[in-house]
Amino acid sequence: MNIAVCIKQVPDTETKIKISDDKKSIVESDINFILNPYDEFGVEEALKLTDPENITIISLGPDRVTSAIRSALAMGAKNAIHIKTDSTPADPGITADALASVLKEGNYDLIFTGKQAIDDDHAQMASLLAEKMDIPAVNVVIKLNVENGTVMAEREIEGAHEIFECATPCIISAQRGLNEPRYASLKGIMGAKKVKIEEKDVTLSESNLEVVEYNYPAEKAAGKIVGDSADAVPELLRLLNEEAKVI
Amino acid sequence: MSGIKPSFSKALFSGLIMEDLVFPYPKMDKEEAENIKMIVESFNKFAADKIDATQIDLDAKIPTEVIDGLKELGFFGLNTPEKYDGFGLGSGGFTKMLSAISEVDSSVSLTIGAHQSIGIKALNLFGSEEQKKKYLPKLVTGEMIGAFCLTEPGAGSDAAGIKTKAVRDEENGYYILNGSKIWITNGGIADFFTVFAKEELEINGEVKEKISAFIVTTEMEGVSKGKEESKLGIKGSSTTEIFFEDVKVPLENVIGERGKGFKIAMEVLNSGRLGLAGGTLGGFKFIIKTTMDQITQRKQFKKNIAEFEAIKKKVAQMTIDFYVAESMIYLTTALVDRGDVDYSLESAMCKVFTTDIAWTGVNECLQMAGGLGYMKEYPYERLVRDCRINMIFEGTNEILRLFIALSGVQERGEYLKKIGKALKDPIKGFGLLTDFATDWVKDKIITERIREVHPSLTSSKTQFENYSKNLRFSVERILMEHGRDIIYREMITTRLADAAIDLYAMIATISRVDTRIKEIGEEKCDKEIKICNTFCEQAWRRVRRNLLMIDKNNDDVLKEISEFITEEKEYPFMTE
Repeated sequence: MNIAVCIKQVPDTETKIKISDDKKSIVESDINFILNPYDEFGVEEALKLTDPENITIISLGPDRVTSAIRSALAMGAKNAIHIKTDSTPADPGITADALASVLKEGNYDLIFTGKQAIDDDHAQMASLLAEKMDIPAVNVVIKLNVENGTVMAEREIEGAHEIFECATPCIISAQRGLNEPRYASLKGIMGAKKVKIEEKDVTLSESNLEVVEYNYPAEKAAGKIVGDSADAVPELLRLLNEEAKVI
Repeated sequence: MSGIKPSFSKALFSGLIMEDLVFPYPKMDKEEAENIKMIVESFNKFAADKIDATQIDLDAKIPTEVIDGLKELGFFGLNTPEKYDGFGLGSGGFTKMLSAISEVDSSVSLTIGAHQSIGIKALNLFGSEEQKKKYLPKLVTGEMIGAFCLTEPGAGSDAAGIKTKAVRDEENGYYILNGSKIWITNGGIADFFTVFAKEELEINGEVKEKISAFIVTTEMEGVSKGKEESKLGIKGSSTTEIFFEDVKVPLENVIGERGKGFKIAMEVLNSGRLGLAGGTLGGFKFIIKTTMDQITQRKQFKKNIAEFEAIKKKVAQMTIDFYVAESMIYLTTALVDRGDVDYSLESAMCKVFTTDIAWTGVNECLQMAGGLGYMKEYPYERLVRDCRINMIFEGTNEILRLFIALSGVQERGEYLKKIGKALKDPIKGFGLLTDFATDWVKDKIITERIREVHPSLTSSKTQFENYSKNLRFSVERILMEHGRDIIYREMITTRLADAAIDLYAMIATISRVDTRIKEIGEEKCDKEIKICNTFCEQAWRRVRRNLLMIDKNNDDVLKEISEFITEEKEYPFMTE
């Protein structure tokens, strides 16, 4: 079984984001980039399903994304494609076009994405790829079973679990709970260095979206301690009701 | 002399600046840096899920699943060459790793560090191909864990005084080993011991007791372990006594040359001290972060604690000290990785400087946290306890200061003797000391001045040059006055060592900031320039005072008071 895992390099969750002067982008120079955590579930699932030789990691972006590719390879995968661009497109549609064109060239039975990238949180990639490649996709999957070309994918919905069945090839977007991603071992990291990352140049499609501006979220007001005993409960209830308006 | 390697600091005691060894400031190659980043990321993920430093401290034990997890990740083979299935990290990379691990937990870092920095280091440095092939593959996976066995009840700082004996039985092909070793890090979990013991050797027709290094494993009959020691800090790390009773150690288990054990032990410790210094910084870094959260949130007199000048002074000083220690450490690891330089003094300097500033700094962090810092609910008190050992093990800071000063003085002494300058007595045989760099020095282009640094650092550079020269004058005066008796004048040698440490700290920091300015421009280095110049300002004043106090001091009175009290065996005065 051939599996492709589409990954994205994203800023570390602890990064303090700085917005550029023109407000059109974020300043990248001091950012520590990591492999998108949801994509790790995809890599792990691929490793559980097939031989590492049959797994291809695919990522689109500038040169820096190779370090995220290496992180995925360090988990065990043995092939990688880097779709080279000058920057990461803000429009997921553009990324999906480019990824789909590369994915179509490969003979993949399964394609994984994370359920969303933790930077822009669009959560569109699996659906966009499904549309552009004309194959099924199941989103936000927490359990997966693949047998004889049939995929059983389980997802959590409000108060219940849904189980979908579909044929390969298909796209699965991975949710936390699908598995426990392995930690990259030193052996894996050394192995990753030996993998040759295939580079592909693409012409990006026209964007249908424009970033108007980035803004910082409003600063949170300081918390309030109402009291430290049961006596404070009535006041707490009053505040939650009247001020915070959450109950 | 053949095989002598140049030493920046030994030359410095002669007032000579081997600029090429410290400029430009070294940079890790891109691939290694990327590897380190990946390993650290992987470790941090593992740590976030599995390592609870508070619990490890309470239980005085690292859970087996943590040790097993680290084995699986490959953390027991960080600095063993790839040829033997290790990860092949150089000194810089390895030290960075220990630093990152210490940010999470000092006991875990020490367990991994002691295994590789000292436990299996002699095998890596001096072992035969057969020995390496036999043991390293098991040691890098953690199937076997290593420990370094030098210290004995009667031989701590005076390591040459060990009593453990190995009697060679040529006929049966083994040594009979008897003795015991104390405070062995990893003792309780180790299966592979690098043991230093004395054996009788015939040298020029004379039978002498010499130290050799041996590979001893727990499989051998007669090896046993004492109970886990209860310690002030680093509680999760295993510390036990190890006993050897009529242990049959195969002749082929001698590491390196017979009788060269002392030199091997010192060589191992020379490099081990850098890992220790790096680890110390890791713990310090963690507590700085915790403290910054505290002082920017806690309010008194309607102001954040951080806004008070008394606090600002502490924060600034610890930042400066941290930056300088880091500059020294990674300059020195690069000297190690070059392979052609004697770094013994510099690594000792890094150990002394870093463990001293971290002790002060971690303590100040607790102080800034106030009453809360004293409570077990917060990490400050644990960090203070964990940090305390660093000034003691792998050579106490006192013995290392002696080593630094005497090595430097000996270097100059030998040189002066050679050029026929009158000396009371040639300096020789300090036991601890080894090579001379003078022969190397005179063949190379060495000046008393540094060629050029960025204008913003000129005053720091000039102070460094001036006081390097003064160091040399002081060394010469000391030699004239005390001759070989200088080995007993510890109050003087300590000052000399402190002066030399400050000078190395200055040049390491100047080099780092100068190199950084060249890379990213003066504007972006604003804070680093200020850190460098402020430190150099503090340091040259200390150097001046230390050198002046070599001649003008109260040493005799201090000795008198001290001898009086030790005679009385208690504090003898009473208030009326």
